[in-house]
Amino acid sequence: MTQFDASELITQLFLRLRRRGFKLGLDELQLALQAVEAGFAIDDKSLLEMVEILWCHTRSHQGQIRLTWEELKKSQQEQLRQLEKDLETSEPETRFQEPERNRQGSTDIIESLQTLIDSPPKSDVASLPVQAPFEPMEREDMLDLQSYFPVSRRSMVYGWRALRRWVTDGAKDLLDVPATVQMVTDQGYYLEPVYQRRRRNAARLIIFIDQNGSMMPFHRFTRDLVETASAESFLLPENVQVFYFHNIPVEGVYRDVYLTDPIPLLEALVGCDSDTSVLIVSDAGAARGYRRQERIQETTRFLRRLRQRTTLIAWLNPMSQRRWMGSSAEILAYLVPMYAMDRLGFGDAIAALRGLAGVGTVEL
Amino acid sequence: MPQDKKLKFEGKETLKPPAGAHSEAPTTPEPYIVGDRLKTAVNLTIALRRPLLLEGDPGCGKTCLAKAVAFELGLPFFRWNVESTTKARDGQYIYDALGRLHDVQLLKGDRETRRDPSNPEAYCDMGALGKAFEIQDRTSVVLIDEIDKAELDFPNDLLTVLDKPWTFQIKESGRSVSAHKEHIPIIFITSNKEKGNLPDAFLRRCLYHYVEFPKDEGVLKNIIKRHYQFEKETLPEVALQDASIAKFLTVRNEGGLIKKPGTSEFLDWLKALHTFGEKPYDPNKLKDKDESKQLPYRELLLKTQQDWRKFEPAT
Repeated sequence: MTQFDASELITQLFLRLRRRGFKLGLDELQLALQAVEAGFAIDDKSLLEMVEILWCHTRSHQGQIRLTWEELKKSQQEQLRQLEKDLETSEPETRFQEPERNRQGSTDIIESLQTLIDSPPKSDVASLPVQAPFEPMEREDMLDLQSYFPVSRRSMVYGWRALRRWVTDGAKDLLDVPATVQMVTDQGYYLEPVYQRRRRNAARLIIFIDQNGSMMPFHRFTRDLVETASAESFLLPENVQVFYFHNIPVEGVYRDVYLTDPIPLLEALVGCDSDTSVLIVSDAGAARGYRRQERIQETTRFLRRLRQRTTLIAWLNPMSQRRWMGSSAEILAYLVPMYAMDRLGFGDAIAALRGLAGVGTVEL
Repeated sequence: MPQDKKLKFEGKETLKPPAGAHSEAPTTPEPYIVGDRLKTAVNLTIALRRPLLLEGDPGCGKTCLAKAVAFELGLPFFRWNVESTTKARDGQYIYDALGRLHDVQLLKGDRETRRDPSNPEAYCDMGALGKAFEIQDRTSVVLIDEIDKAELDFPNDLLTVLDKPWTFQIKESGRSVSAHKEHIPIIFITSNKEKGNLPDAFLRRCLYHYVEFPKDEGVLKNIIKRHYQFEKETLPEVALQDASIAKFLTVRNEGGLIKKPGTSEFLDWLKALHTFGEKPYDPNKLKDKDESKQLPYRELLLKTQQDWRKFEPAT
C-alpha cells in the first residue's frame, strides 16, 4: 500500500472486534478517530498501540486485539493478492482506459487497487472484496475459552445488597446535621444536637448448598456465593448461616464444606422464622439428567418442612433452564421458585428471597 | 479538539520546573522513567481528555506518574486519596454545615467569627476535582488514587462528573462549578483490583494501561541512576549495582515468590545494601553460588511468611 489509511483500518478493526464480542460502542469508534485526527496513528505499530490503550480494559483484551489485528492484516493482503491476480488475468483494455500505463509496474496497479478498496461507501466496510482467508485449522474462539462465568462476583455482591430489611433500633448516636440545623432555625436558638438511631439489617439468610458429585464443577460459584453473602453484603455475619448436603438434605445437613460436621436438619432450622430467607443451591439432577422418584419425594418433604417456617424460599440451579427438562429439576421447579444461576436468574432469586416472587410455586 | 494542543508529555529528565509553572504545580521533580507505550497512553489522555486508568503490580510507579506529568508540564496538581468511606461527592466539595451553625451562634453572642455565615460559599471546602474545575486559565492534573478501595458504587457515581459537560452543583449555595471547556482536567486513576473489576460503564470511558515491572536490567539501572540523581546522593559503585540487579531479578523471577517485590522495594533494598552497614555490601557475596539461598536484608523484599521461609539463613 502506498498510503496509510488509519481511519479505514480502525473502522474495519472495530467491526471485527465487535463481532468477536467486544463491548464497543460508536463512542469508542469516534474516540479512536479523534485520536487519529490528533496524529496518534502514523503507522501500523502506533495504530495498534493506540487502539490497545483506547479499547482494552484488561490485559487479555490486549492479546485478543493483537490477534484480530493480525487476522485483519492477513485478509487484507489476501484481498490485494486476489485482486492483483484478477487484474493480470483479465483483459486490460476492458478494465482501464490506459492499458500501457498499467503494465508498467506493480506500484501503479497497487495504486489503482487502493482506490478500488477505498471506493466502497463507509457504511458498508464489512463487505469489502471477499475471500475468506485460508485457515489450515478451525479458529479457536478466545472469548468462550477464557472462562465460564454465569454470575460474576460483582453481580453477586450487587444482588445481595438488595436483600435487606432495615430496622432503626440501634444506638442513638448518629448526628443528623440537616435536622440539627433545621431545629436551630425553627427555634431560633441552639439547644442540643439531633441524633438518629443507627439502622441495622434485620434480614436473615440460610443457604443450603449441594456439595460434591454433579455439583463439583460449580464449587467455585458456591464458594463465591457464600463469601459474598457473608462478607460483602449488607447482611450481618451472624444472620447468615450456611449448610451443606450431598444430593438431598434428608435428616441431617453439614456445617462444613467437607461434609464432616453433621447437624440434624431440625436443629439447623431452629432460628428460621417467617422473616428468614432460605436459598437452596443445587442442580437437582439437571447436570446429569437424572430423574429419581425417591429423591424428588425426599426433596419435597424437605421443602415442606421449610414452608412450615418461611415462605421466602428460592432455588438456584447452576444449570441453564433448557437442561432442566426431563430431570428432577423439571418437577421441582413447580414446587419452588427455581432460577438458573445466571445474572438475571440470580436477581430473580434475590427478589424471591425478599418475598417479591410467587411465580411457579404451588401449595405443598 | 478544542483542547490545548501545546501540551505534550515527553518524559524529560529535567530537575527544574518549567518556566511559568502554575503555583499549585509540584515543585519537586519526580524521578520517573517512562516507556514509549506509557508515553503514548499519557499523550492520548491529554489529547482526548479521557481518564487514564493505571493498573499494575504494587510498587511499580502508578501513583508517581501523575505527579511526574504535572511537574514536567508545570500544571497544577491535585491528589485525591480514596479511602473505604470516601463518597464521590468528597472529590467535588465537602460542606461544613456544623461550622456555619457554630458561627451563627457566635455572632448572636456578639463574638467574632472567622468566616461570614451569611455567605454559604464560605463553608464549602473544595475537593481535588472541585479545585481542578475552578482553575479556569490552566489545565490541571488530578490523581484519583486507589479507586478500588471505595464502595462498590463509587466509580459509577463519579461517572457523571468525569464526563461532558464537566460540571457539578454545590447544593448548599446553588452555584454550579464547571471546568473551562479548553482546560478540561487531565485525570489519572490507579487501581489494584482489590475488589474485583470496575464496572463496565466506567471502564468504557477510561483509557487503560498496565504498568509492568521493568523486564531488563538496563531499565532498572536507568531507574537507579535517575533516583540517586534526584535525591542528590552518591550512586553505589557499578559492581554493587550490577550484582544487586542480578540477584534481585533472580529472586523475583525464579524464587517462586508469592508476593513479588516491586521497583520501590528494590530501590529501598539497594539503599540498605549501600548505606545500612558500615561499609557497602560486598557485591561478590551477592554473586556467590554457595550462598544463592542467602538474601541480605530480606526484610525489605519478602512480605509473606512462605516467602520469608524460603530464604531462611542456614543456622
